[in-house]
Formats: sequence, C-alpha cells, structure tokens
Amino acid sequence: MRKKVHRRPQRHKTGILRTWNKNKALWLLFLPCLLYYLIFRYAPMFGLVVTFKDYNLFKGIWASDWVGLKYYRMFIENPDFWPLMKNTFLLGLYKLFFGFPAPILLAILLNEVRKAAFKRVVQTVSYLPHFISNVIVASMVIMFLSPTGGLINNLLGAIGIGPINFMNEPGLFRGIYVLSEIWQHIGWETIIYLAALTAIDPQLYEAADMDGASRMRKIWHVTLPGISPAIVITLILNIGKVLEIGFEKVFLMQNPAIYDTADIISTYVYRVGMVQGNFSYGASIDLFMGVISLIFIYTANYISRRVSETSLW
Amino acid sequence: MNKWKSVLLPLVIAATVVTGCSGGGNDTSPQSNTQGSSTASPTDSSKTEKTFTALLDNNATFPYSKSWPIWSWLKEKTGVTLEVQTPSGKLEESLNLAIASKAMPDLMYMPNRKESNKFGQQGALVDLMEYMDEMPNLTAWVKQYPEEAKAALSADGKMYMFPNQGFGETNRMIWLYRKDIFDKEGIQAPATYEELHTALKTLKAKYPDSYPLSIRYGQIPDEMNANMTVNYGTGEGAYYDFDKKEWLFGPTEDSYKEMVGMWKIFYDEGLIPPDFLSLQTKQWQDMVSTGKSFVTIDYISRIDFFNNAMQQENPEFNMQFMAPPAGIAGGKQLNPYFHYMEGGLTVASTSKNIDDVMSYMDFFYSEEGRTLSSWGVEGETYVKEGDTIKFKPEYNDVIEMRKQTGLQTSGTYTWIDFGSHLSLFSDNLKYAFEEATKYDPSMMQPRPAFTEKENEIIAITGQAIQKHRDESFAKFVTGSRKLADWDKYVEEMNNLGVDKLLSTYKEAYERVQNIQLNGN
Repeated sequence: MRKKVHRRPQRHKTGILRTWNKNKALWLLFLPCLLYYLIFRYAPMFGLVVTFKDYNLFKGIWASDWVGLKYYRMFIENPDFWPLMKNTFLLGLYKLFFGFPAPILLAILLNEVRKAAFKRVVQTVSYLPHFISNVIVASMVIMFLSPTGGLINNLLGAIGIGPINFMNEPGLFRGIYVLSEIWQHIGWETIIYLAALTAIDPQLYEAADMDGASRMRKIWHVTLPGISPAIVITLILNIGKVLEIGFEKVFLMQNPAIYDTADIISTYVYRVGMVQGNFSYGASIDLFMGVISLIFIYTANYISRRVSETSLW
Repeated sequence: MNKWKSVLLPLVIAATVVTGCSGGGNDTSPQSNTQGSSTASPTDSSKTEKTFTALLDNNATFPYSKSWPIWSWLKEKTGVTLEVQTPSGKLEESLNLAIASKAMPDLMYMPNRKESNKFGQQGALVDLMEYMDEMPNLTAWVKQYPEEAKAALSADGKMYMFPNQGFGETNRMIWLYRKDIFDKEGIQAPATYEELHTALKTLKAKYPDSYPLSIRYGQIPDEMNANMTVNYGTGEGAYYDFDKKEWLFGPTEDSYKEMVGMWKIFYDEGLIPPDFLSLQTKQWQDMVSTGKSFVTIDYISRIDFFNNAMQQENPEFNMQFMAPPAGIAGGKQLNPYFHYMEGGLTVASTSKNIDDVMSYMDFFYSEEGRTLSSWGVEGETYVKEGDTIKFKPEYNDVIEMRKQTGLQTSGTYTWIDFGSHLSLFSDNLKYAFEEATKYDPSMMQPRPAFTEKENEIIAITGQAIQKHRDESFAKFVTGSRKLADWDKYVEEMNNLGVDKLLSTYKEAYERVQNIQLNGN
C-alpha cells in the first residue's frame, strides 16, 4: 500500500485520502468534537442495557442478571402512569403553545424599534433571567406569589382582590410554570430570531415601502416569511422536547396540594429511581420517554416536509 | 431530569475502572508489606504504623482538614493514618463511582443504612459479624446495646455498617414557642391540641396580622408528618404498635382523621399561614423572627438559632422548648423518636487490610475511644473536675470545637458521649434537651432492613401510597376535598396496596427479630 502511494503519489489516492490531505487542518479541528460525541453521546448508549437488567453496581453491568422488560412493565402498570403521562404531556404542550411564539413576538417587536440604545437595553434585560439558577427562580416565584406578604398578592390587595393562594391551586400550576419559563428564557431564545432577521434583504422593505405597505403589512409579508425557516426548525426541535421538561424547576415548585397537575414523569423518576436507588427502573423510564420524543420529532418533521419546504432532514 | 445522566454513569464508571485499577495497584503494595507483623493484640499493633484509605463525608461548615489534631491523636492510640478522600460532589455519587470502579477505599462513610445494606447485599461490603471475634470491644458493646445493634442489621442478617450511638441526639425535633409573648398575654403553654387551639385563637385576636403557628412543612414534609402524627398516637405510614405488638397503617386510622380535622380548623381560622404547604425556610424564619408566628416545630438547635440572632435587638425575645401537645384530651404528650443517626462507616470487601481495619475500628467502642472521640485529649481540649469532664474555655461552641480539632466530624466517631456536645450549649438549649427526653416514645420505631425485592415494593407501592396521602392531606386541610369524603379516601388508599405494604414491613420485621445477634 505504502509503496504504491510512493510510486504514484497523485493519481491513485483514494477520495478520502485526498480530502484528508487537502483539509488536514480542518479535520484536526473537527477531531475533538467527533471524539466528544463518540465518547459522551454514543458510547454511553450501551449503558441503556441496564434497563433490561437487574443492575448491580458492584458486579458491574455485564455480570448483572437479565430481567427482560420487567422495568418497562413496572412503569406501565403503575397506577400513576396515566396521570403522570397526562401531566408531562400537557405541561410540555402548554409550554410549546405559549412559550414558543413569545420570543418570535419579542424579536419582531425589537426589530421594529428604531432606537438602537433602547433595543439593546430591552435585549439585555430580557435575557438576564436566563442566567439565574432554577433554584433561585423557583424560590422567587413562590415568594412573590405567597399569600403572606408576597409581592403579587400585595399588589392585588391594593386593588381589592384578595389574597390568592397561587401555589395551592392545581388549576394554576401550569400557567405559573409556563409564565415563569417565558420570563426566564424569552430574551435568550430571541437571539436566534434576531440573527435570522438580519439576513433579510433591506431592499425588500424598501420595495414594500414603495408599494405603500403599512408596518403590519411589512411584518406580515416580509419579516415573517424571512424568518419562517428558522421558526419551523426550532418548532420541530421544540416538539421533540415536549416531554423533556426541566426536572429541577418543576420539582422545586411543586407541593402535595398541586400534585394533581404538577407531578410529572421526571419528578416521579427522581423519587422512585434516584431517591430509592433504582437505577434500572429510572433508566427504563428515561428510555421510554426518549422513544416517545423520537416519535414526536419524526412526525413533526414528516408533516413539515409535506406541508412546507423546510424540514430537519 | 437530564436524560443522559442515567446512561452517562456507566461510561464514567468505565473510565474510572481504568484509572482506578492502576492507581489501586500502586497503593496496596507498600501496605501489604507492613501488614505481616500486625496480627498481634491491639496494644501491640498500636506500634505498627498502618495507612488505610477512606472516603469520608465533608461538611461545608467544618470542611475536612488534614492537619486536624484528631488525626494525630488517633494515630497515637492506634498507629493508623487515614488517607482521606472527600466527595467531589455529593457523597452518594462518589460512593457509586467508587463501588462501580472496584477501586474502593478501605473505609467508606455511607449516608444511610439503606445504601450500606444495598451495597452490602451486592457484595461490596464486609459483613462485620464475621469479624466479631477480632473486635472484643464491639462485641461487648453489642451485648450492652442490643437494640442499636439490631437496627444496624441488614435484611440478610448481616451487619455492613458500624453501629453508632449518641450522635443522633442533635436530630431531635421539638415544639418551640415564644415564652415572652405567652407570658405577656397570660397564656399557659398548651398540653393538648384543644388548649393549643384556644391559645392560638387568643394570639390571633391580639395580633390579627399574625399566623400564630407556622411550620416549614414544604421543606421537610416527612419530619413534619412524623411530628403531627405522633401527637395523635398514630403514624405517618406503616408503624409498629408496641402495645398491640402489630404493624398498623397510620394514614387511614380514625386518629389520623382527627389530626387532619384539627389542622383544617387551624387553616380555616387563619391560625397557620395559608401557604404552609409551600413555605420556604427563609419565609418561615422571617415569620418567626418578626413576631408573625409564636409557635413552631423544628430541630432542637433552633432555640439557639433564633435566640442568639434576635436577642441582640430585642432582649425580650425568648424562644423556648414547649412540651408537645397531646392530640386528644388524656392522650400521651410525645415527640417523634428522631435521635438516631443514619450514617456510618463501612468496610470495603475488596480491602486488603480488613483485619487491621477491624482492630482499628474496635478502638472506637472502648471507653478510651469513646472519650477520645467525644472530648479529645485531657489537658489539650478538656479538663477533669472531679468526676465531670469540661471542655477548656477556648472551645466554647460546637462548630468552633469541630473546626479546630476535627472532633465529631465524619469518620472520627461511632459511639460518643453526647454530654460533650451538651456542655457547649446555651442554658436554654440544655434545658430543652433535658425536657425533651421526658417526651420520648418508650421505644424507637423498628426500622427493619428490606431485601431488594421488598425495596421494590416500597419504591413502587409505597411511593403511590405516600403521594396519595400527601395530596389528600393537602386537599382535606385546604378544603378542596370535604372531610365527609374520608371513607372514600380510606378505600382509595387500601386499593393502592396498603395491605401489601404492611405485610412487607411485617415480614421484614419478623425476619430481623429472628436473627440471633450473638450466635455469630
């Protein structure tokens, strides 16, 4: 092999080798990323085998006994299975319905602002909460909404509405959670749409001006179509994440009075899997959810490919 | 939850296997050289120097230090040096990694008996019972404290964790009240919930802005449930009735219903904060310290916590121990039995120094070891005045004492004289400890160890039952479900598998009872 290469260096090199020689530096730059994915994303998937085993930490994965689908059956036959599914699904859906359009709206509004300084201030202020830890956010929410000296109830009290025990009403939990999510992440998620907006050709706006289009018309016919690919892509990605609601925040915000709506699969996995040390059980629920998420994202992508031009693959 | 966390773990483990193996090989070879001569009696072996590796817990208030005098004191007495590692994150995670990597340190501190029993049954830990012959002090201790020793047993009748005693005292929970306010308003400390109700109503009338009784239920629900139920002579889940000699289930009993009814009255009349289920610790502290609450339930050390902070601006402020009110007139006034400690030291089954570790650990069960781990060294940390022992004046507070000496930090004690702690407390707190013991239940609730199979039942069925209990308690008290629905609630609970849970407890309990401690 080597001899051949030596004799006729140029012509007989394979395609891969040629690209390698040509882009050596680029490949080397890519290498850490590739290794990262192989080691931390792909290799751990073999660990999923514990969901079919009675995982014994000391014996190790391979020496543990096979138990088949026991843990999956255990989860599905659990009396809490359906309420948990419903809560997880609804909370994710609410977040998608209300949380998804919010940053788009903010991005469009910001785009219409002509004063650069004001725009920058709004942007900074709106993405700062993204950097506050969930523990703090959850405590803030609970304290602000407290009927004993909470800010919101004090304000409501001033206009004669009186104290509402927000964190004790199962009906209010989803709303509170979604609102706090929007407040926390709106600025951050706006960034991607603002980036998409800069790609729109200004000539389109000028042409629309010439045609006498109003502001709303321009938003409708120029801005929105301009960022629609970005919207569709993030929507598909978000649909895949409907069931993947942040554990930490829900866990910190819930209390027994609102289990009806606030107990979701990840908090259940925490109580049964982690606290009770049932790794196999916890991992099987996770894999189960992963499969459902995959179905979601696949369906969304399929529909999008059929309906519009944009899709993930 | 992070989706990949559960699958990432095995990989990290795999990575540590590689590093762990090579590291372990280097460590153990010099140790085995010194081992040969150490089979003699404990006093002789104290001359041989030995080094064990240990994974100990770390406390942010008094972080582990290599230079603590406790280590040199221990070395003087036993010849042992501990090569300590502390968890980089949570103790549980470090333990999981250490065990899965098979590079276990000789000694490991486990946060609770459930963990040690699980790992023990999986084969990672040494059964101490097999080494009792080498531990004369522990053998004598076991004879002296059979209940404590039994509580340390695993479901398979083996003992994987060194039993401890004395330290659990700080876990006591009590009722606390503002004695100054009660005295000012001429209210007697209540002996029953009826009297408590009247007292709270009087306070509410005098201070309409207040919620006289406030507890941080949302932060420590299990502890709060135990406190509430013990007042009504029932349990927060499955509990053992020592009079009837049988396992009963608290949350469906009539007395439990009565308790719920009383808390509902408190809620309806504004005697407890409407958000007591979600109250944050900070909110609760503010309410108590700003005079918005006058009665509460919490850990015993909160007496000093509140008094020390508040008396600087308000010398009148006087938080004191309150006798627990009985649920029903003529009922027993009790606090829950919380003065035990869950954590302790375990020995790795892969250790090359098991025999030496055993004789080292046996030292802690001698009177000498007990005095050393409670008080330190005479002249250096304590002085003897007749029969009583006293810390030297420079050690005037428990935290400082620990910070400076390392005494009573993770891995430096098993059996201690709680008097050493007590001697550093304020008079109020001393008084509280004295009083609190008068309201102890006659016996500690048995905590039988479960097999893996039983643990699964408790994880799944027990979890469903507990969730329904908590949810229903919240609903009954806040009125979103009527108390008239009680019978239906009992039926729902039973349908979730109360019988199955009870028989699991019963079986496990009987199995542990039948284990002969001294039979070896």
